[in-house]
Amino acid sequence: MMAAGCSPDAPPPHASDSGPGTAGGATTEIVLQDASERTVRLEGPARRIVSLVPSATQTLMEMGAGDRLVGRTDFDTAEWAAGLPSVGGGLEPNLEAIVALRPDLVIRFAGSQDRRTPARLEDLGIPHLAIRPDRVRDVLEAVRMLGAATGLQAEAADLVARISDGLDRVEARVEELPRRRVAYVLGGTPPWVAGPGTYIHELVTLAGGDNVFADLGDLYAAVSPEEVRSRDIEIVLVSGVDAFDASLAPDARIHVVDASIEIPGPDLADAALRLSELIHGPMEAPASPDGGGVRDP
Amino acid sequence: MSRWTLGVILVLATLASVLLSVRLGSVPLSTAEVVGALGGGADPVVRDIVVRLRLPRVLLGVFVGGGLAIAGATFQALLRNPLAEPYILGISGGASVGAVLVLAFGWMAAGSWALPLAAFAGAIFAIFLVFRVATATGRAMDVRVLLLAGVVVAAFFSACIAFILSISPARTVQSAVLWIMGSLAGATWRSVALTAIYTTPAVLLLMGLARSLNLLAIGEETAHHLGADVERVKRIALGVAALITASGVAVAGVIGFVGLVVPHAVRLLVGSDHRALLPLSFLAGSAFLTLADLGARLALAPIEIPIGVITAFIGVPFFLVLLRRSVTTT
Repeated sequence: MMAAGCSPDAPPPHASDSGPGTAGGATTEIVLQDASERTVRLEGPARRIVSLVPSATQTLMEMGAGDRLVGRTDFDTAEWAAGLPSVGGGLEPNLEAIVALRPDLVIRFAGSQDRRTPARLEDLGIPHLAIRPDRVRDVLEAVRMLGAATGLQAEAADLVARISDGLDRVEARVEELPRRRVAYVLGGTPPWVAGPGTYIHELVTLAGGDNVFADLGDLYAAVSPEEVRSRDIEIVLVSGVDAFDASLAPDARIHVVDASIEIPGPDLADAALRLSELIHGPMEAPASPDGGGVRDP
Repeated sequence: MSRWTLGVILVLATLASVLLSVRLGSVPLSTAEVVGALGGGADPVVRDIVVRLRLPRVLLGVFVGGGLAIAGATFQALLRNPLAEPYILGISGGASVGAVLVLAFGWMAAGSWALPLAAFAGAIFAIFLVFRVATATGRAMDVRVLLLAGVVVAAFFSACIAFILSISPARTVQSAVLWIMGSLAGATWRSVALTAIYTTPAVLLLMGLARSLNLLAIGEETAHHLGADVERVKRIALGVAALITASGVAVAGVIGFVGLVVPHAVRLLVGSDHRALLPLSFLAGSAFLTLADLGARLALAPIEIPIGVITAFIGVPFFLVLLRRSVTTT
């Protein structure tokens, strides 16, 4: 079981930077290198957190730091989050609402989609931490970083172990199974599909599928309907509300999946498991007692 | 250029673009495969690609492109405004609101007909609204009021779209933007049949009004003195052109520039006698949209770019040259 805890392959490069700061003894200052390569200094473990990143909100909850959250976005729709005040969207949130919540840390998206928010938070003197939950690796990274920011390193390590263990089990299971040709369609006319740069491509690959659109140069792209027809697809995973024209893949099994699996977050091992079951059929029973053991502590 | 010469050229161009568009696509097929598929033989995948995907798509391009061009020519004549185009009465805005509502509320689940039906209903609603405003001011339909009403109604609809999209998830915004930019990718034999049944009589009706349109293009008063039933012609022609546009928008989204640029180009070549202008605009629109769709499919294959991008990339430079030419010649 402890072996599972050590399994995350890569050492945590960014979060480990916090080591010297926290281990310094006298000072409780936390120094982090965030996902946009900024050095973030916190006076101590964050206690009043506004999370602009839904997967971070969920991660904090699962690490047992749910009571430190003071604000969420409109996209945190889980029941437990409903009681928290929302500050609008994750990008370009309502700054007044954030200030009113007197946060000691704002978790935001890394990247350039919203340049205004970090600049304004900087002006207002509110510490902010950028995370980039785009890929499987990023999710583990983000968990470690959030653990460091809240002083809950042990809980974060535990969550990382749980996620890695879940992923290992899915991988171990699909290893012996034949890989299936999968298309992930997000709807639209022409069909809007997931390309090789996407998290969903990673997840499909983990779950024992070969993305038939791995040759696209883009994250997501609209492809000609005849491409869908000609690629010998075995399984079509359709998410979202747009109808998929089943006659484009007459020989394929078509499964409708919940669009929530497209969002990288701490439940990614569950998402990979669900996808692998859609691709290869239900997972055999013996695997679950192990999982229970890891989950309990 | 003589209208007959241009007519022959355009018939050949339309045929050529149809053949080329069936022959070419993002999945490379040989001529033998395409011919085999048309004959009912060949591999089922090839047959599906040629017979169920490419052919209906090309034919839809013929009807929608032709319909938009002839509607544009009609609007330009009736509104006596060179900027008039099929969407000028707010039809695209109405159709887009219908489509965006379907996407935002997830009504796509009801069936693939939900979106075109809602877009059509939205377009009809826009037409109704604009016509009501234009006829409410007096007994005669005032085309200036019609134009202004169209612009204002379009502005209102774009505000509605902005509002709906601002409270929608990113995925809905994505689908809506793709739809609004237009695509022939959704073509099926059923949508081709519906569009053909709908467009053909409408086009014939407009061509039957060509002489009256010639008179109206000079001026309503002159036309009246020359014996045209101005009000009747105006209402029928506007209504028919608007309905052609509505059906095109419903099956292909908002495809810009075809209805603006094609009639102008034809007018430059053969003059503004509507007996020639209308049928030639239809042919030119068919060929133009079919080739634009081919471009949309091939430019970044296997990725498809919105057809409106291609029509605008060709249409805008063309229109600017046209503008310069009309400025320097007057």
